[in-house]
Amino acid sequence: MGDNNFLHLARPLAPAAVSAAAPSTAPVSVTVQPQALFSILDHASRRPAEQERVIGTLLGTRSEDGTEVEIRNCYAVPHTETAEQVEVDMDYQKRMLELHLKAAPKEVLIGWYATSSELNTFSALIQNFYSQQGEGTFPHPAVHLTVSTIAGQDVKADTYISAPIGVTAERAADSCLFIPVPHEIKYGEAEKSGLELIAGARDREDRSQLLQTDIETLERAIEQVLEMLERVSNYVSNVLDEEAEPSSALGQFLMNTLSLAPKVDPESIEKDFNNHIQDVLLVSYLANTIRTQIDLSNRLATAALTMGSGDGNNANAEQKGERKDRQQNQRQGAGQGGRRGEQ
Amino acid sequence: MAEVSIKDTPLKEVQIEALCVMRIIKHATQTFPTPATGFLTGMDINSQLQVTNTFPFPAAVPEASTTQDQYYQADAASLAAAAPRAKSNVGYQAEMIKMVKEVNVDAQGVGWYISTSMGNFVSQNFIENQFFFQRAADEKTVALVFDVSRTSQGSLSLKAYRLSPSFIAAYKEGKFTTESLQKSNLRYQDILVELPVQVHNSHLLTAFLHQIPQQPPQKTALDFPTSLSELSHDPNISSNPLAPNLDSLDLSIDPFLEKTCDLLLDSIENHQTEQNNAQYYQRSLAREQAKIQQWQQKRKQENVLRAQQKQTPLPEDEWQKLFKLPQEPSRLESLLVGRQVEQYARQVDGFSAVVSGKMFGVKGNLLPGELA
Repeated sequence: MGDNNFLHLARPLAPAAVSAAAPSTAPVSVTVQPQALFSILDHASRRPAEQERVIGTLLGTRSEDGTEVEIRNCYAVPHTETAEQVEVDMDYQKRMLELHLKAAPKEVLIGWYATSSELNTFSALIQNFYSQQGEGTFPHPAVHLTVSTIAGQDVKADTYISAPIGVTAERAADSCLFIPVPHEIKYGEAEKSGLELIAGARDREDRSQLLQTDIETLERAIEQVLEMLERVSNYVSNVLDEEAEPSSALGQFLMNTLSLAPKVDPESIEKDFNNHIQDVLLVSYLANTIRTQIDLSNRLATAALTMGSGDGNNANAEQKGERKDRQQNQRQGAGQGGRRGEQ
Repeated sequence: MAEVSIKDTPLKEVQIEALCVMRIIKHATQTFPTPATGFLTGMDINSQLQVTNTFPFPAAVPEASTTQDQYYQADAASLAAAAPRAKSNVGYQAEMIKMVKEVNVDAQGVGWYISTSMGNFVSQNFIENQFFFQRAADEKTVALVFDVSRTSQGSLSLKAYRLSPSFIAAYKEGKFTTESLQKSNLRYQDILVELPVQVHNSHLLTAFLHQIPQQPPQKTALDFPTSLSELSHDPNISSNPLAPNLDSLDLSIDPFLEKTCDLLLDSIENHQTEQNNAQYYQRSLAREQAKIQQWQQKRKQENVLRAQQKQTPLPEDEWQKLFKLPQEPSRLESLLVGRQVEQYARQVDGFSAVVSGKMFGVKGNLLPGELA
């Protein structure tokens, strides 16, 4: 046998092989934060009329072993696409990345997005550009997020990573194997209230919603809870009447939930209730008193002169205002003590 | 001129794209408790200001202290608060606008945002920033104030403020003396004008939101869970993005009161400092005036004497050269303290309204039949 007779085969890396073998650099789970998605949708609606899809860069964080990726932010990158060629403004991408890193140094380049779910040769080209060595995401594969924005169809998001494929160097440059990876949309605690409001505008004709006050939010939350309670109690009474199918799991769950109700004796409830409500009212009263006092003192400071009296009087008036303020505070303190004593 | 263009079509309301809301929330919660600041772009249509995009200002890096201007010497909080005016950020802002313009984003600056905690935002820095924005360009700019800690209590707290024209006029002159305040009749209530804010979704976003499964599920038959553990691990239940937000039912009272009292005390302290300054000024003014009067009398007597001796009288207004009246301290800070306290008071009012409702609810629930 000749020593140099070998057949070279390039085997695409299958996802199973990648995750099973030695430490891999492929993300297994991708988390998308809503603001990134919103931004992509915004970009999609601002695309030039003649352009089928627009692309942009995804930024976010990557866990140390590279298996978890969180997409936190993104920005649009201008590109032109014709039947024969694709042009991505790489200079723009580079400068924009710099600017973003300045504001959020913790976010790194993750990959790119496109606003159509189609994967074609150009996708492969761009994908290879994003995952290249140096400026790209190398050694981690770039994450590709597609968000379909075709009128009349659902907005569908997909995430992919890629593996190199192709027999020759030239072919490898413009081809790659897109491997779908699971993704989920996650939001933080603080974003919940923002999202709720945004979702509130969902069913409105003008697609907008005024910001709500605390008490309105509370009202809505209580209404929602009441509605849910009613549903549950309806179901339970239906089961009792043998009209609905019982479920032991649901029953168990309800029992567990009911047992969470605290057992406290009425006296301590009464005491805690009074304590807290008095604290609240007191602080509210105090705040308003202080506001009035400060207003008064400011007014006295500026008003004394208009009455034609001298500067000395002005200073006196101010002092008086200040003293009153303090007296008031002391009285408050006494009141607080007294009220506490009553209990 | 500022006043003219404001009078032309005054801004009546602010409309924010959902995208901007999310971006502000993200930026603010990431940097909390340091305030986050950023730039707003959009456009103004008649009396409505539309905010369609935002980008954060870079958090000023302490390492840059040697090369940058004076703001960089300060601590992180004031550093961030001063960011909108910092020289380095003007360049950043200009470049960013140039970049986003290329991808068809509205490139007109419409203001800035700042995050805060418990409504503690009225400060010299805030005023200076907004003045910086409202003075420049075509004046239609707002300051969005996002309250991180109040948002975590359940309802989104995002407010839009502008400086009132009368305050701008006073601030331009830079004079906040007793006299000028009497003349302009400026009160702390007149510093900031609040504008109603509404959130707006794009068509695509509306479509997307409609697609996300809603909670609670519609009243159709659902499959029963086979076991308890399945129920608690059901992805539909645990991780629904639009599940009803029941945070506002949370009954946490003491931390809020504690924080409010702390902040109120701070404000009172500031107020007192200002009062002391004013008093000190009044005293030294009185002292100087007494001295001047003494001098004038002396000069008069001298002149009478000289007149008797048929000499030319000495000028009587020379005192202006000899004595220097003390500068009156600016009353701006006390105005701001007043405004800040008002903010706290309103906040507490709102809080007590909500909380007493919740408390009575809890009491009625735990002590059925005993509700007074």
